[in-house]
Amino acid sequence: MAMTKEERTAKLRELEQKIASKKGIGALYGLVKGMSVTMRTMLKPAITTQYPHVKPDLPERTRGVIALKEENCTVCMLCSRECPDWCIYIDSHKDVMPPKTPGARARTRNVLDRFAIDYALCMYCGICVDVCPFDALFWSPHFEYSTDDLSTLTHEMDTLAKWMDFVPPPPPLEDGAEDPSQEGAAADSATPAAGTTEAAETQAPPAREERHDEEPPQIDQEAYDAAIAQGKPDREARALAKKAWILKRRKAQS
Amino acid sequence: MAVTELPTAGMLPGGPGEGVQVVIAGEELPTQEMTLSIGPQHPSTHGVLRVVLTLDGERIDTATPVIGYMHRAFDKLSEARDYRQIIALSNRHDWLSAFGNELGVALATERLMGIEVPERAQWIRMLMAEWNRVLNHLMFLGSFGLELGAMTPMFYAFREREDIQTLMEMATGARMHFTYCRVGGLKEDLPKGFLQYSEVLVKRIRHRLLDYEGLLLGNEIFKKRTVGIGVLPGEVAKSYGVTGPILHASGVAEDSRKTEPYLKYSEVDFDVPVGNHGDSFDRFNVLFHRIEQSLKIIEQVHAKLPAGPIMPGKMPKYLKPPEGWTYVRTENSLGETGYYLVSRGDTKPWRLKMRTPSFHNVSMIPYLLKGVLLPDLIAVLGSVFFVVGDVDR
Repeated sequence: MAMTKEERTAKLRELEQKIASKKGIGALYGLVKGMSVTMRTMLKPAITTQYPHVKPDLPERTRGVIALKEENCTVCMLCSRECPDWCIYIDSHKDVMPPKTPGARARTRNVLDRFAIDYALCMYCGICVDVCPFDALFWSPHFEYSTDDLSTLTHEMDTLAKWMDFVPPPPPLEDGAEDPSQEGAAADSATPAAGTTEAAETQAPPAREERHDEEPPQIDQEAYDAAIAQGKPDREARALAKKAWILKRRKAQS
Repeated sequence: MAVTELPTAGMLPGGPGEGVQVVIAGEELPTQEMTLSIGPQHPSTHGVLRVVLTLDGERIDTATPVIGYMHRAFDKLSEARDYRQIIALSNRHDWLSAFGNELGVALATERLMGIEVPERAQWIRMLMAEWNRVLNHLMFLGSFGLELGAMTPMFYAFREREDIQTLMEMATGARMHFTYCRVGGLKEDLPKGFLQYSEVLVKRIRHRLLDYEGLLLGNEIFKKRTVGIGVLPGEVAKSYGVTGPILHASGVAEDSRKTEPYLKYSEVDFDVPVGNHGDSFDRFNVLFHRIEQSLKIIEQVHAKLPAGPIMPGKMPKYLKPPEGWTYVRTENSLGETGYYLVSRGDTKPWRLKMRTPSFHNVSMIPYLLKGVLLPDLIAVLGSVFFVVGDVDR
């Protein structure tokens, strides 16, 4: 079918050239042909869209704006450091968490105070989204945030969090593509394979307390006394004593 | 000079050349060279290129391109950025062939590190590079017509570009600065429906190319303005280091996709279109036929695309190529883009020198414009395909 169509166009073109090369009719033929193209185009619907009234249908992967899932952010600063033009501003403070078991050391954790992206500087390369180890940053096709003032292009945490509503799920992959969710979720953050975001999103970010479920180490009095006797400062002696206690427990377990 | 002082026109003796001998009076009049500065902003320069002309009447005596208005110190900046960031930066110096640029950086780094890129990633890279080539050539196809006064090809070209950009956006998420390559492979695999749309587009663009052919290549006015204008012999082109469609138009079929195949170019069948005369029309003609060849390659990729991964397993978090250097040649949309990469085992390159096609194309402008009539300037300048960002870096 396609072949016949091609042949037909070739034949038509040959005929056209024959007519066009003839004196007198040539110019007239050109005019008629031009007008017929105009007529045909006039009857077809326009290929332009009336933008503010008709929104464009953008693909899922479109890099329109970076949205922040605030609760996933651990203030590791990787995005801010890897950004080629340093347009991500992060402020944080350390919060002291009460100890889980009495006698244990109080833990500190980072709390995000400010997360802002200066879209006037951003070059939409997506490195920050790629490097984020806890999937706190996402691309969204939303693009309508232009202003006439550069300073208002720096968007703070609340706006970035609001844009999470515009984040679509990653599109399914083409046939023959390797499903990256199996090895991708555990892969190094430097090499985010395709579509890991969803797989990793369903997994909660690694819980902080999980690792400390076993009994917190206690101070081995013998080791502590020995360290103090050696003239070690109290802080160091406590650390040595804890180490000795853990070693003892490990020995007892095995 | 009074009329009476003019030398009298003597009569020639009889014979075949009988008649009045005409003496042109203007030849003795004192004339002055005129300096005309075109640009830095001019629609035919795709950026801010300034050309300073000295004119003898209507004829161009010398033409000096003044470059550097868009210098962004890309070479120096890449010494302060790591390899992933360079890929994002390299998108930007030649904004019309972003994928070709990032591909070169990735290839150079991979060669230095000895990384084996998965088959599927190589085929997809080739597919993207060829679509990018079509995008680039459509732009020049349209704009060259526009510069010579034909409005329609520009709109047609942008209609096609819109379709291809949508296709690229599906896979990469961006319409111009794709940032799709990664050292070792690709960012993500193709989304579902990409290949189908790609196949549709190949057919559609091939059909629409017939329109361009009728509008420009078969256009009497277009031919009159371009045939025999700005002739560049092959030897001169080689001596200036000119590459890409301009070199091919001069009859030299040097294409690093053929002579030093990278990716999978040795496994696909395509021709390098070559011109005979090296004039403006030939350059345009070669550009047109390069689109057809790119579409041919794209069709073969559709048929041969293997299944598999797109990244070679686990990659280190910070890339540290071993000490050494490499030079990678790639046939970018406008010609040969070379990357000379020196590493001292750091996360950043010690030196990254780019050899860009536009710079060499522009360096040839003084030769091409010498003795050309001023109205032909645009017909010549528009056919020396260059992007000013690519000249200045």
